[in-house]
Amino acid sequence: MTSGFTGEIIKAHADGGREGEYLSVKADFVLLPDPMLALLLTDLRELGGHVWNREKVLVTVDHFAPPSTVEGANMVKRVLSFVEEEGIPHYSLYGGICHQLLVEGPWVGPGMVVLGADSHTTTAGALGCVATGLGSTDILYTLITGRTWLRLPEASRVNLTGKFPQYLMGKDIALELLGREGESGFLYQAVEFYDLQGIIPMDDRLALCNMVVEGGAKNGLFSPDEVTRSYLEGRNGPSGQWKWAFDEDPQYRRAMDVDLSSLTPKLALPHSPSLVVDVEETEGETIQQVFIGSCTGGRLRDLEAAASILKGKKVAPGLRLLVAPASLKIYQSAMESGFLQTIVEAGGVVLNPSCGPCGGIDKGILGTEETCLSTSNRNYRGRMGDPSSMVFLASPLTAAATALRGKIADPREVL
Amino acid sequence: MDLHGVITGRVWRLGDNINTDLLHPPSYFSLDGRKVEEGLREGMQRLGADLREEHARDGLVIVAGENLGGGSSRETSVRALRTSGIKAVVAASFARIFYRSLANLGIPPLECRGIQRWVRDGDLIRISIKDGFIELDEAGRFPISPLDDHIEKILQCGGLVPYLRRMLDGI
Repeated sequence: MTSGFTGEIIKAHADGGREGEYLSVKADFVLLPDPMLALLLTDLRELGGHVWNREKVLVTVDHFAPPSTVEGANMVKRVLSFVEEEGIPHYSLYGGICHQLLVEGPWVGPGMVVLGADSHTTTAGALGCVATGLGSTDILYTLITGRTWLRLPEASRVNLTGKFPQYLMGKDIALELLGREGESGFLYQAVEFYDLQGIIPMDDRLALCNMVVEGGAKNGLFSPDEVTRSYLEGRNGPSGQWKWAFDEDPQYRRAMDVDLSSLTPKLALPHSPSLVVDVEETEGETIQQVFIGSCTGGRLRDLEAAASILKGKKVAPGLRLLVAPASLKIYQSAMESGFLQTIVEAGGVVLNPSCGPCGGIDKGILGTEETCLSTSNRNYRGRMGDPSSMVFLASPLTAAATALRGKIADPREVL
Repeated sequence: MDLHGVITGRVWRLGDNINTDLLHPPSYFSLDGRKVEEGLREGMQRLGADLREEHARDGLVIVAGENLGGGSSRETSVRALRTSGIKAVVAASFARIFYRSLANLGIPPLECRGIQRWVRDGDLIRISIKDGFIELDEAGRFPISPLDDHIEKILQCGGLVPYLRRMLDGI
């Protein structure tokens, strides 16, 4: 079976139930962001169901954080009532984006099965677990039974080789893969990464696993190594489940290499994350808004990278720079390290940790024919605002360089 | 639902890589069914659907290309299809969350290659899941991939909620 670590982990969680190609699989942890949780509460109540294990879920209010409409406010209200009624111990009100909070906390680690009611749940695979997104009704099933139905996917192995240049970030690697494989290149597959030199920081790994879903993947997974271990040991609370969960060599349907030393900064053109070109090919395109944030590009290394470029400079006249740290912890660290000071001095606006502009929810929605360069994961038509607006996706380094010039700029020119 | 009968409807044709943000713009996420349905009308308009009232009255069947429904997991996109009376969704391939959500909400997701270029908006389409084919007036029959037993079971129950209810009742 060529389903990699993912297949081994799924099989290890199977409870013996089988229908067709689907196995009944036990879930180790479930992520519940506000809108998708709000959507399933009526059915949960009608079924008379309760959460199978209150310790194994994380509820986050991150989409409507804080709400900007009455409707959003009422959804948050429902979510908070649920937390209280069920006695959910792990929840976050405006503490950050679910995918970041999930990996910051002590709950998930290598070898686990993690499900989330949001497509970017794939992010957590950077810790060596099988993490995948599901719709609200699927999650309802898991909340009541502690299980889900999964097929064993085919797996692709991605070897990351060569030196990791200072001007590159995980985002560039993600865009390179999406450019090569297209929007459906990883359809239904597991994408498993091997950092052969153990040099890619966890924040970059998280960004990379976050975006595999843009190629259609079921999940992304980093083969656990010393970077994983030190991340798990260094985060809040207990180090989570650290063990080599994998006894046998995983098998793959195919393998591919990405030579980091020859990679250049990448950018996705409107309106697809897989419409990828070199940044230098689009240099000079006028940009009105730069957004640095989201579950892809709002981590500490992202803010540090942006600050390193903005230090002592000013953003271009008329350009709006919006920066949203992905969590309160990141916000505080970035404050203590002076990154936020640098960003504000350069003319940036620091938003509170939340999803915000990425899904066109609030704080930075685009108007008619406006252009935005964003460190987020999706530039589908209309996602960040008016259907005529244009969104380019790139790394925080490219975003900061672009903010200074008011036009798309290659970070190698300013580093 | 009865998977043995023939589903008839009018085609709403979509291209390749139509994601959920296009189908149902994010600003229409809501718990209010009317607003969710409105989101689908907005999506149809943005995608240039050429359908008339009487087509919608007959019931629509989506016929799409590769990778239908990628992107966000927001189930409102599929809930809107259900409340708008979409009878089945046919595509050359599906994004996984969308595929599952269709079955979970009781809408048959059917894989069929080669049919997309033979249809226009409003065409009459007949689907026999049991016999494994789709029939068009002029272009004839196209085979559909058989449904997995698990998906078939969910559809027979009418979706994952009734499936779960039966399971909890020990039926």
